[in-house]
Amino acid sequence: MPSDLDQQIEQLLRCEPISEEQVKRLCLKAREILIEEANVQVVDSPVTFWDMMELFKVGGPCPETNYLFMGDFVDRGFYSVETFLLLLALKVRYPERMTLIRGNHESRQITQVYGFYDECQRKYGSSNVWRWCCEVFDYLALGAIVDGRVFCVHGGLSPSLQSIDQIRTIDRKQEVPHDGAMCDLLWSDPDDINGWGLSPRGAGYLFGADITKMFAHRNGIDLIARAHQLAMEGYKLMFDKTIVTVWSAPNYCYRCGNVASILELDDYLGQEYKVFSHAPSAWSPADRKRTPSFPQDVRSIPAKRPPADYFL
Amino acid sequence: MSAAVALPQHRLLESPNSRTIEIGTWTITASTNPISNAGQCDALQAAIGGIPLPEMTFGSNSLELEHKGSGWKYSFKTEDALKGVKNGELEDGDGGVKVGYADAWLKSRTSPLSQIPMPKTVPTKPYDWTYTTLYPGHLEPTGCKAIDWKPAERNDPNHTIPLVELTRHDPILFYAEIPLYEDELHDNGASHLLVRIRVMPTCVFILQRFTLRVDNVLFRTYDTRIYHSFASSPPLVVRETSGWEAPYGRVKSRLPKRDDLTPLTDPMWIAKILTEMPSEISQEIGAGTKWRGLGTKIDIATLQ
Repeated sequence: MPSDLDQQIEQLLRCEPISEEQVKRLCLKAREILIEEANVQVVDSPVTFWDMMELFKVGGPCPETNYLFMGDFVDRGFYSVETFLLLLALKVRYPERMTLIRGNHESRQITQVYGFYDECQRKYGSSNVWRWCCEVFDYLALGAIVDGRVFCVHGGLSPSLQSIDQIRTIDRKQEVPHDGAMCDLLWSDPDDINGWGLSPRGAGYLFGADITKMFAHRNGIDLIARAHQLAMEGYKLMFDKTIVTVWSAPNYCYRCGNVASILELDDYLGQEYKVFSHAPSAWSPADRKRTPSFPQDVRSIPAKRPPADYFL
Repeated sequence: MSAAVALPQHRLLESPNSRTIEIGTWTITASTNPISNAGQCDALQAAIGGIPLPEMTFGSNSLELEHKGSGWKYSFKTEDALKGVKNGELEDGDGGVKVGYADAWLKSRTSPLSQIPMPKTVPTKPYDWTYTTLYPGHLEPTGCKAIDWKPAERNDPNHTIPLVELTRHDPILFYAEIPLYEDELHDNGASHLLVRIRVMPTCVFILQRFTLRVDNVLFRTYDTRIYHSFASSPPLVVRETSGWEAPYGRVKSRLPKRDDLTPLTDPMWIAKILTEMPSEISQEIGAGTKWRGLGTKIDIATLQ
């Protein structure tokens, strides 16, 4: 397996999809590893493929650096398939070095609306790859804890969970439900309130500084690292630095012009936010087609210029 | 391209984040920038009364039109568009909705059998989380006397937007797409506000389109079109505002391929489906939200 796998990693690093049969075996292997993992294992965002390459450049290659990705690996990019399979291949190759936790996009329902399902259909001509990937999603950990001091989760806290130990008892191997603690961990957001708030959308919790600090204190942690929300500067610290939103998708949706960041923790859990811009080659396929010699550095361009259109 | 159309004299000015065309007595500037940074967001949020900003707020983007002859200045700006979003408890006419699974979500937490009862919650700021706005652009205060919009005369052919002229593929002298804001409603759909402009040899045409999708609930489009013919004398600006709405399932049933949902994320396709429906449905009944934006209205401004 390792040599085959290394070859597949090489191929995916060039952003070339691997065969359906290889995906099947990779997903099976990944499940065998993930099934053994705890709910709480020891960085977010829907990253586009080329931006992830930039991320590895900034953060150092795997396996020399340990990586933790906080979910939302798929949807809203042109290379979700390559991105997720590469992360998965690295996970299988270096299980101890690579941690993947589940985001709210790692769900059957969401991927059918936001692009991953269609991308699998387009690239493989059937929904098999999508199905196998969704089966892997069901086994992803819900959170991670680094050296007992930094708690990582995709969304945020849940009113039904006071301790990290309680997360360990959730039966996670299922589609993301619409209710319960598992749903909250993947969907909730910090907000400038005190206590718990109900989202004005009619579903979902907001949690305030007091809740965050209490959770940190009770569980003996210094920091909650989460993803789930866009931050123009790549990261956003809140509540006296007890919680941080880390966003690692630069120039989100190919038009926001935002920077992204990786949170690097050193041996003493010192925090450094490594900020990076989108990769010069992170242009959409349509852009590339339109621009025969697409610029080597498009970082100064905030948004692509659309072709003129006779809209009515 | 039609060779019959004479190209009027015009000047294009360009900088990395803005483009301007000077044509006749008009100066038109489109500014496009990255989304606002934390500092800009805080200032903008304070300016619009504290509601949470859309996730992608292009706070420095704008389209500005200036008619030198009359001093008339009209703009499309993010801040003003967001001021049109309901801040406070939603009332009749605001067309407020909840996410598709709101009832199930709440029930699972409030039923006596629930294993995970709701904690005591504090009130969060009420506002229209769909970012629906009826903002049709705004007049900039200038030293000159204000020129007001007046309802169009039903029988005056000049008081309409001439589709024939706009369908003709004359050369486009100036084109811009200016996003003002976007939000993905926490993965419950999407809300977009985008302004587009094309300056043609004979006219200026602008379409500002608000598009809303709330998954399993509804689709909504609100368009503002601005048309000015360079041949009009005195100079006349026509503004058409229209709103449409339909239940989610009704639009979804019009998908060309049943298992390809991508058109549901395309504002052009959504608008096409909504406008093709009989107007008693998409402009009167809508999705049953009693939203005041439904219907069509034409106004004119005479620039003199």
